[in-house]
Formats: sequence, structure tokens, C-alpha cells
Amino acid sequence: MPEAQPLQHLLDQRSDLWRGRRRPQARCTGSGRAELDAWLPDGGWPCGRLVEILPACLGSGELDLLMPLLAEQTRQGQPVMLIAPPLVPCPQRLHRAGIALDRLVVVRAPDQALWAAEQSLKSGVCGSVLVWHPRGRVDARSIRRLQLAARESDAPAFVCYRRHQQPPPSLSALRLGLEPGPQLTLLRGDGPTRALHLGRANVIELAVRRRQSASAP
Amino acid sequence: MSQPVRASLWAGLYCPGLPLSAVWDHQPGIGPVAVHSHQRGQARIFQAGRIAAQHGVRAGMGLSQALALLPQLQSRPRNPAMEQRALEQIALAAYGHSHQVVLAPPDTVLLEIAGSQRLRGGLQPLLDQLVKTLRQQGFRVRCGTAVVPAAARLLARVGQHADSPERLQHTLDALPIDALGLAPGKQQAIIGCGLRRLGELVRMGAPERARRFGSALNAELDQLYGRQPTPLAGWQPPERYRQRLELPVPSERSEALLFAGNRALDHLGGWLEVRDRALTALHVTLEREDAGNPIALGLSLARPGFDRARLLEMLALKLDRIRLPAPVAALVLKAETTLEHRPPQADLWDGRNHGDAWPALLDRLRARLGEEALSGIAPQADHRPEHAWRWVPPGTTRVCTETRPRPTWLLPEPRPCQRADFRLEDGPERIEAGWWDGQDCRRDYWIARDGRNRRVWIFHEHEPRSGWFLHGLFC
Repeated sequence: MPEAQPLQHLLDQRSDLWRGRRRPQARCTGSGRAELDAWLPDGGWPCGRLVEILPACLGSGELDLLMPLLAEQTRQGQPVMLIAPPLVPCPQRLHRAGIALDRLVVVRAPDQALWAAEQSLKSGVCGSVLVWHPRGRVDARSIRRLQLAARESDAPAFVCYRRHQQPPPSLSALRLGLEPGPQLTLLRGDGPTRALHLGRANVIELAVRRRQSASAP
Repeated sequence: MSQPVRASLWAGLYCPGLPLSAVWDHQPGIGPVAVHSHQRGQARIFQAGRIAAQHGVRAGMGLSQALALLPQLQSRPRNPAMEQRALEQIALAAYGHSHQVVLAPPDTVLLEIAGSQRLRGGLQPLLDQLVKTLRQQGFRVRCGTAVVPAAARLLARVGQHADSPERLQHTLDALPIDALGLAPGKQQAIIGCGLRRLGELVRMGAPERARRFGSALNAELDQLYGRQPTPLAGWQPPERYRQRLELPVPSERSEALLFAGNRALDHLGGWLEVRDRALTALHVTLEREDAGNPIALGLSLARPGFDRARLLEMLALKLDRIRLPAPVAALVLKAETTLEHRPPQADLWDGRNHGDAWPALLDRLRARLGEEALSGIAPQADHRPEHAWRWVPPGTTRVCTETRPRPTWLLPEPRPCQRADFRLEDGPERIEAGWWDGQDCRRDYWIARDGRNRRVWIFHEHEPRSGWFLHGLFC
């Protein structure tokens, strides 16, 4: 048996090798919510890959969904980019969710949003990058470029489409449908087919966790 | 008896092509060039470039004659101010190698090198390095060394070295009279006396020399042989950086502008190094050929430092954004600097320079998207929600004291809506404020559900307008 261990180790290193029994575990970062982590295929937000979010309408909860992640990253001093958000993110709400506002950068250039996202990912310094796709037709090539850029960074990258926009056929890690609630459906990526209703309880959970970490030395 | 005093040694850097390099800023592939000056109302070639000289253009030739010889010749008048600037540029490079630099206009720079001999592992490597640096900046210089500054200036012209007083005397004695560079009349007078070499002139008695050729020559020779000290005025790099770079041919092509910018950054880098300062912002002004309003480009750095590649990239992004209304004739660079100098630090483990990558990213985004496109968002102490936030520069920290529930998204402006479309859930929160700035309001905020089951923030305004407004989204 002692020889089996290195072989196992060697096989694990090959991400391009498909083995029947188990899918290779992709690197991911915790979403900050236990039930969401359990529901996501990789056990968290995949790192260095693109996550596509398709909200049913504006304000379906796309930012709330990511707030625990952003809070964790900004508190560790990692910068976070919000690129071309459709409305103004309320600083009081972000602060309440635990986000360090001095690490948050909002880029207000809708027509250059994808370029800015690509640059941010390529730099490799951002905690995570969240970009709202500009209005109009979705260009498959620019999404592909974004995917390649995401691979160069360790950060999870999120692209949020507008209503009625169809994402191109792509190799993104995850595609999530989002409805007010927020309620999540997995449109791409193998995992549970059931929808996840997150509700509002998570925020309170986060607040409790923060209080605990604050009371610790 | 006395302590051995460390003998000083001076190097002269003689740039024969300075008038030409100063006005034709070393642009490659420009064709035959020359500089002309006006003598008695007539334009005469002062110095011809290499290609022009191959075609027979000579100094002293009339400009019209030279043009007849070589119709594609481009010639510009001599520009003493630009020659002075070019000389200072050579001095700046020299300042990196010596503590004492002296300008000897019109075409020579002197530097003390006895104290710097060990800097590059010997005298010759030091001079080689200096010549190489200057060649990269477009100046071809000839070196000479001597123990006396005045002699170093002379020996630089002939490319000789004399590192001891005995050797200096020997070398000087052997020089022909015309190496002195005297006025033509005086030179003729000396040669007319049958004197060929400097040594013969020196052997003539001082009173007789003064009688024949004037007393100024004696003082000059005394300085040359080190019998009298040479008066020197030390040169210091300027406190503030400002450089004007004329383009050889006015152009609106960004490649040509970038080429000139690249040259200017060379110079700026040298200045920052000898001044030991870090760049915080660079103001580039493009002067138009038609003398219209100059175009100003500002490049600000999120972190003080000097990264040529990044500055060039930012300049390229800036130039991409604008449309030039007319060809650009000159570039003016002004630098804002700080003494706070933090060299970039790489991460110990992965060797990546994270500290520098973040400001680099901000600079790149700003250069293309504009200064105002990048911001942080900060709370502001005001009860009226539309005044309770503002865009701030990224990285600004502000305290937040608000504890009441606030939505995730705010509409830029409250939008009128119908009460019947919403189901009220929580509220009201009365907000009455703004009497001090004339935007007085009295509202009741409610958390409500809309037809799509979204939680929204709406208010019923009583003053100044009356009605229901949608102001935010809760998710």
C-alpha cells in the first residue's frame, strides 16, 4: 500500500485527467453562507473561473448574494471591484454587511466595463471582480476573453447579465439563475437541481459571526 | 611633512555635434539634416549631419547652395537655448557619476572623477559607462582627462589623457597651436611668429608674450598648465523638472508623440535618480503647430515612483482617448514629485510585487476611463438619503453611524410611483430635514413589496412635493 499514496497524489495533480469515480475538486472560496456552500457544486465560489449570474430582474439580490464574500475579502485587505453597477450601491448597507468601504472600488464606465474587468482580473490583485454586462447584445468573444483573464487571477469573477440577455455558449464554471427572494437555480454546473431559497436569515447569521470574531482577541 | 592631498582629476566630455543634436532631437530615419546660422544677413550651414556631409554639404556653405546640392536637406537655425538645455542634459548624466560637475559652454561638460574612480571599478569603465549612457540619449561625446579642469576641457577636444602634472605638461607641449581654439586673428599672429606647438609658445617669456599677443593669453596658459586655479561654477540639477521637447516634424500620429515621450522619460528618469525623488504626477502639454490652445494630459500615479513602461502605457492610453485637432509641434513635461521614496517590494514567497500591482491597475484604468470613472463610495452625515452618500477617491475611509435599515441599491433620483403597485411591509420612518440648505423635505419611508416580489424602499412625501416615490431596492 505505501506505493499507492504517491500515485494517488500524482493523479490528483493532473487536472486534465478524468477518472470515473470522482470529479476533481476545484479550488474555491467559501461564500460565507453554510447552506449556499453546501448547495454549490464545488462547495463555494470557484476561484479563477467565471461565474455567470442571470437575474430575473434588476435587484433580484445579486449583490446581497455576494456580500458575505466581499465582506470577508475587504476585511482581509483585498480590493474588490464593482464594475458598472446599474444603480448606486448604498454605503450604509455595505458597511452594515461588514464590507470595508476603503477597499471597494466602483468603476463607472458602462461601455468599457468588460475591458475594465479584464484588466482587473489580469492584475491578479483583486479579491473578487463583479461586472455588470453593458446593455445590448452579448458578445461571445468578450465573455471568452473574460474567462481567460479570470484564469490568470486567483479571484472569483462574476458577470451579471441584464434582463433578457442571453449568455453565449461558454465554458463558464457556473451559471446561476436568480429570482427575487433571493432564490437560486443552477443553470450550468453539475449539482443539485433543486432551487435554493436563501431568504433574509443569512445577514443575521453573518452579523452574529462578526460579533463573535470581534469579541475574540 | 604635509599630508598627501588627494589629487583631483577632471574629465571633459566634449560633444562636437551639440548644435545639431539640440535642434534635431535624434530621431532616426529623418534623412539629411543640418543647422544653419546667420552671418552678415546670410544663412550659412553651421553643422551638417552625417548623411548631409556624405552628399557634400559642408560647414560655412551658403544654405541656398547646400539646398541646390541636396534638395531634400532639412535645415534649422541654431538655437542657443536648446543647446544650453542639451548641455544640461549631458551634465545631468554626468551628475550621476560625480559630485562636482561644471558646464563649459558651448559644448563641453567637466566633471571631477578622482573621487568616483572606485564607483565603476576604475577610470576607464567609468568613462565607458558615461559615453554609453550618453550615446543612448543621442549624444556622441569625446572624453579627455587632466589634472586641471581647463586642460581637461582642451584635452577632451583631442581625446587625450594626462593623469599627472608631468604628463600634462608633456601632452600640452606637444599640442599644435590651433588646438587652443583661439580667435582666427590671434591664431594667425602666433603662427606668423613661427610658433607651431604649444610648448614653443610657453617657452617664450611671459612679458614678451603679453606684449605680442595680449595679457589674456597668459592667464589662459597659466590656467591650462595649472599654475593658476581655474574659476569654476558648480552645476546642480534643477529643483523642479520642466522639459520642452520639440518634435522634428509636427505630427498628429501617436507613435511619433510616444517616441518623443520615450526620450523625455529617459531624461526625467535621470533627473529623478540624481535628485532622489519619486514621481507623483506628470503633466504633459502638447503644443499645437497652429498655436491653438495647448492640450494638457495629466498622468497621476497612485503610488510615488517611476516606472517607465507603465508611464508610457498610460500616455498611450491617454493619447488613444483624445483626437488631436492639429499636428503637435512640441511636448512639455512637468513633474510633480515627492521626497518620499519607497522602492517597490516583492513578496517574499511568490516573488510577485503585489504592493505595486494595485496602484498600477488603478493608474491603467484611470488613464483609459478618465479620472472620474474610478471611485469609492462613502457615507455622508445627512438624514436625507439622497444626500447621505457621495463618490470619493478610492481608498477613502469614513465613519458610518447609520443604524436604521437601508436598501442595497439606491436610485440616483427618487422616481415617482403609484401607491397601489406596492404592498407596505414595514414603516414608517419619518425623515424631516434640510431646512438649512433650502432643500427642506418631510417624508415617510416604507419598506414594501412590488409586483415582482422585490423588497423596495418607497416614501410618501408631504413636502415640498406630495406623492409616492421609489428610492431603493433591498436586494
